[in-house]
Amino acid sequence: MAYSQPSTPTMRPASAQAPHPGQGFRPQQQHSGQQQQQQQYPSRPGTPGQQGGPPGGVPPMGYRPPVNGGHPGQNFAPRPGMNGPGPRPPHPQDPNHPMNQQQMRRPSAGGASLPPSPSIQRPPMPVGGQIQNGSPLQRPPPLGGVQRAPSPMMRPAMIQPGSPGMPRPFQSPQIQARPPPQQFMGQGQNTAPGSPAMTPMGYNAGGPPPNGSMGHPGQNQSQPPTPKMPFQQQQQHPSQPPLHHQQQHQQNQQSHHQQQQPPQFQDPGVPALGPPTPVAGGSHKPKRMYPTAQADSFQNAASPAFDNGLNGGFQPAPVPGIPAAQGFGGNQMPPGGQQGSQFFVPGEKPGPNFGQPVPAYQQGLQPLAGQSLQPNVNQLTNQMGGMNVGPGYGFNNAQGGASLSTVALMGVAPKILDLETPPPTINLPANSSITHSPHANCDPSYKRSTLNAIPNDSNLLKKSRLPFGLVITPYRSVKEGDEPVPVVTDAIIARCRRCRTYINPFVKFVEGGQRWKCNMCFTLNEVPSSFDYDSQTQQPVDRWQRKELNHAVVEYIAPTEYMVRPPQPLVYLFVIDVSYPAIQCGMVATAATTILESLDRIPNDEGRTKIGIVTVDSSIHFYNLNNESGEPKMLVVSDLEDPFLPQPEDLLCNLSECRPTLEALLNRMNDMFKDTQNVGNALGPALQSAYKLVSPIGGKILCLQASLPNLEAGALKMREDPKLLGTSKESTLLQSANSFYKTLAIDCSKSQVCVDMFLFGSQYSDVATLSCLPRFTGGNTFFYPAFTAAKSEDALKFAHELAEFVSQRIALEAVMRVRASKGLRMSAFYGNFFVRSTDLLSLPNVPRDQSYSIEVSYEDNIHIPIVCFQTALLHTSSSGERRIRVLTLAIPVTTSLSDVYLSADQVAIATLLANKAVERGMNSKLDDARDALTNKCVDILGVYKTHMTASSSGATPNLQICDNLKLLPLLTLGMLKHVALRGGSQIPSDLRSYAMHLFSTLPSQCLIPYIHPKFYSLHNMPENCGTIGQNGIEMPMAMNLSSERLERGGLFMLEDSQNIFLWIGRDAVPQLCLDLFGVPNYESIRGGKTTLPTLETDFNQRVNLIVAKTREMRRSSYYPQLYVIKEDGDPALRLWFLSHLIEDRAEPVMSYHQYLGHLKDKVNSGSF
Amino acid sequence: MSAEAMVFLFGVIIGAALLFVKVFFVILISDLEVDYINPIELCNKLNQFVVPEMFVHAFLSFIFLISGQWIATAWNLPLVAYNANKVMNGKHMFDATEIFRTLGQHKKECFIKLGFYLLSFFYYLYRMILALVNDS
Repeated sequence: MAYSQPSTPTMRPASAQAPHPGQGFRPQQQHSGQQQQQQQYPSRPGTPGQQGGPPGGVPPMGYRPPVNGGHPGQNFAPRPGMNGPGPRPPHPQDPNHPMNQQQMRRPSAGGASLPPSPSIQRPPMPVGGQIQNGSPLQRPPPLGGVQRAPSPMMRPAMIQPGSPGMPRPFQSPQIQARPPPQQFMGQGQNTAPGSPAMTPMGYNAGGPPPNGSMGHPGQNQSQPPTPKMPFQQQQQHPSQPPLHHQQQHQQNQQSHHQQQQPPQFQDPGVPALGPPTPVAGGSHKPKRMYPTAQADSFQNAASPAFDNGLNGGFQPAPVPGIPAAQGFGGNQMPPGGQQGSQFFVPGEKPGPNFGQPVPAYQQGLQPLAGQSLQPNVNQLTNQMGGMNVGPGYGFNNAQGGASLSTVALMGVAPKILDLETPPPTINLPANSSITHSPHANCDPSYKRSTLNAIPNDSNLLKKSRLPFGLVITPYRSVKEGDEPVPVVTDAIIARCRRCRTYINPFVKFVEGGQRWKCNMCFTLNEVPSSFDYDSQTQQPVDRWQRKELNHAVVEYIAPTEYMVRPPQPLVYLFVIDVSYPAIQCGMVATAATTILESLDRIPNDEGRTKIGIVTVDSSIHFYNLNNESGEPKMLVVSDLEDPFLPQPEDLLCNLSECRPTLEALLNRMNDMFKDTQNVGNALGPALQSAYKLVSPIGGKILCLQASLPNLEAGALKMREDPKLLGTSKESTLLQSANSFYKTLAIDCSKSQVCVDMFLFGSQYSDVATLSCLPRFTGGNTFFYPAFTAAKSEDALKFAHELAEFVSQRIALEAVMRVRASKGLRMSAFYGNFFVRSTDLLSLPNVPRDQSYSIEVSYEDNIHIPIVCFQTALLHTSSSGERRIRVLTLAIPVTTSLSDVYLSADQVAIATLLANKAVERGMNSKLDDARDALTNKCVDILGVYKTHMTASSSGATPNLQICDNLKLLPLLTLGMLKHVALRGGSQIPSDLRSYAMHLFSTLPSQCLIPYIHPKFYSLHNMPENCGTIGQNGIEMPMAMNLSSERLERGGLFMLEDSQNIFLWIGRDAVPQLCLDLFGVPNYESIRGGKTTLPTLETDFNQRVNLIVAKTREMRRSSYYPQLYVIKEDGDPALRLWFLSHLIEDRAEPVMSYHQYLGHLKDKVNSGSF
Repeated sequence: MSAEAMVFLFGVIIGAALLFVKVFFVILISDLEVDYINPIELCNKLNQFVVPEMFVHAFLSFIFLISGQWIATAWNLPLVAYNANKVMNGKHMFDATEIFRTLGQHKKECFIKLGFYLLSFFYYLYRMILALVNDS
């Protein structure tokens, strides 16, 4: 439905278009319906001109008359077959479908299509004796010696997702999609030698092109453009293509095998001919004629200068004799690309360079050169594709693989939809997990690493300058449709006796399955006998069914050895501020009502949950909730210097037992204090006594604070000084003002008490100091600036969040430890917890969906093919069970810088960098934090440029980065422009502290939109948006965050997971106002915090659904508030909204393109 | 015994005490690294020595100043200033919540101070003996 403002004034009034008012809106609907239909049926005759604007963009004319006014309902009836022949779900009986194949192969270990191999002949009943020694359980060496000839340039087997000789019965679809180069070689061996066409003819250097098909795009893939080609390609062969080529490999490989190979290019005599190619699979080589390889081999062979440069300083030397390349390359072409391009210039005569390929090649055989070359080529081909040089030469095919390769950043809008894409695949070698379970590796929503291929030594990591760390959300909520965490209930916990690692899918069984070899420290451990035999039922059991061997995320029910005391019950103690400001803003009333209403939702499985209430103004009020009368008894302590508990028990009482008293108290709470004039607040003493009350058991103190504590210990002063804002002293405002809270936090942490802060401030509330308590006790902070319950939106947000928060099934008295393979160490921890020892985090409570970031450093080089990170969270569940949640993440190790780059996860990197920046900003200066972010970005871009692209040193006209990191500069800019880190003197320190708190606790899923909000155009969204489709409510397409997208008559939505903004342009048509807000025109729309009315109109319902979906689609207890922003409304609100459009220039930070220019200058001037 | 010998005798005693305190610090910090002690205990133990140590050192410097031992005063003054600066910024205490982040820094500081006190100790000893020899 397009609510676009017409661009021509004559078309402006809606009624002018509509024949009568009742239909004022219809034509448009029909029109957009038309558009929609066209998108789905592009071949529909008669409407080719109606293709509208670009997708996600705005049609130039909102009110075009209906061209083909079909019935709207007809157009939008959701038809199941509408999308045409899409991928069909697998038929359950279809054995050829890959999904079914996977399922089917599992029990029999080896499908029909795969050759049987000892490595997977797993005994169906592997009870100890049946397992042969010599171990079918042991994975054979990753690459079978037969298929793989030693090659100096071959990458180590460890980083290959699979090897040709090994069946991969349970490989994931991703792995299938990316066969390793070796597989290609293996098949090449199988096919090429047997081919009848093997003649040495192909080595007639200088011979004519075989079929004269040089210019033919279709054949160019399988044929080299010059007769030199096969020779050079053999030379190129040893340098394995990096991961990102593999997809291309397969595609091309398949096409090669299907296409006829020209006989001239078979090369059985390779070794005899003398090129120093020790690769056995070289014989198939000429088949691999996809463009990258062509370009690669050309580069490699033909330009000695290039090669020398690779080994040495990588100087982009102009190739003599080919001046034409300059003109050809154009502006986009980096120096290296110019060299490459010469080969594609039609009619270019091979220069003298072509005559001397061999020496150059021999130099190029250095592994380093091989690694570095690949990305060069990739980027080169990319550029070729991008420049449209290719057509006619077969190079347009290169674009197919562009999604996994180098992209240029400048001059194009960032592809923000890629923020949603999953992280780069973790390409573990086949058979790395013993059960081949699809769940053997950790889901990124629980734990993700910034690098999905880990450098084998610290120098390589240093060289890459990528941050290395983990982002862990161990206790994330399980929504509907998510798979629950499997629970091991039989209390058999197999752990390594040396490093205490829990058994996981990546261990190896040895000695006939009697022992298992720890995958962290390689100690041999006994397998518990109960793995194979259930002594209770006296039945043998199948160890392969055990959940801990099949799942990376698993929960054990812990026996008593894991307890220092019986599991504690849940304890909630509310400390409520009842001073004048708190009553005045309505916090107390709202809180009391909310607590009352959520009493049923508080987890109370075993009836052990305890609850208590303390109110505080200038004295502390306790309530005895457990007396016979059923009336709560108030006990007042006014000695603030040495607060004591007025009575030893009954202040905390059982939720089920004291329910009536509690309800009576909550019902009455607001009335008790409604006439108070007391402005004193003794939060410090109140917290001290609350601590005394809770500490024998441990539990949760929920502190609802609406004024600045001003009495006795923990009194805070209004310290916000506008003069400090924007200066280097600003970070003092972000640090704790009073050591009282830190000390208390340490005490709380020791006694398993967690403090959560709900802060309501009409004025300064010192979030920085008060959020100290949650930070070190595993709690959470909520901040409601300018809260007034009179505004129903404020009350609703608070009530929703408080209710969600108390009803969460949290974990209690937890400790978390991350173990890693030998050589790696957890070096820094970010998040809300107390670090109790070098690697032990203590969390009195683990709220749902809180994220922790951990930086990893090297202690030693890594000599193993796979490293493991195992997070163990020992906790008491809210149902009173002691449990251990274990998350195992296995990541391959690589020696190649390109693999490291291609496997980097920009979302995890952004999360880790955000945490580090916050830390830096709080402890030193915000300027430092911002500089560190930019410098990190410059480093990454610079290293990529130097080592991965053809233009090593010297200035380049563009910035290049691999596809999977292309949004990192945008995310960095988002952080720089975020309230948490933005410069300037406009941001109150409370808001900044709160944003910083969110930076360090939000899981990536919420943090990324918080940094880079989602921006939708609603007035012209497709007809199916906001309706319930197959995947729930359909959302519109997110747009780039630039005010270019805003239109004067449009309706836009922007959400950052904490707030939702509806921006309405001042020329919005009255029909839109009427349909959405139920008001006659733009002028009558009220801006600010609001709730959308629920109207009967279709548009209103769809927008309401979109807002509702936005509020619940992420795993968090935050309730985004809705603001309506009018284009000419409140300037503060408008500015606030516009500050989210991070691609725009907003003083003092640059626009996205300026920022890229800035990065480019730094990259070009620095050395990496 | 001359006044100079007395002053340096005092210096030797104080220097030895400071040396012991620093050794104690270093031992506890290494304990923390190998997880023999938790950070809360560590901080509780160390913090009670921080201010006394600084005070004693400042007092010793003051004694040197009033007794006219200019070299000894000049040797000690930078540390006094450093300590005073730390106290004024409120950063002199060990913070259990930050201890792992700042452990390297603390360790370095401890070792430097240890070296400093060691050198001071021998210097005072030497000066004391010198003064005693001169006396007799």
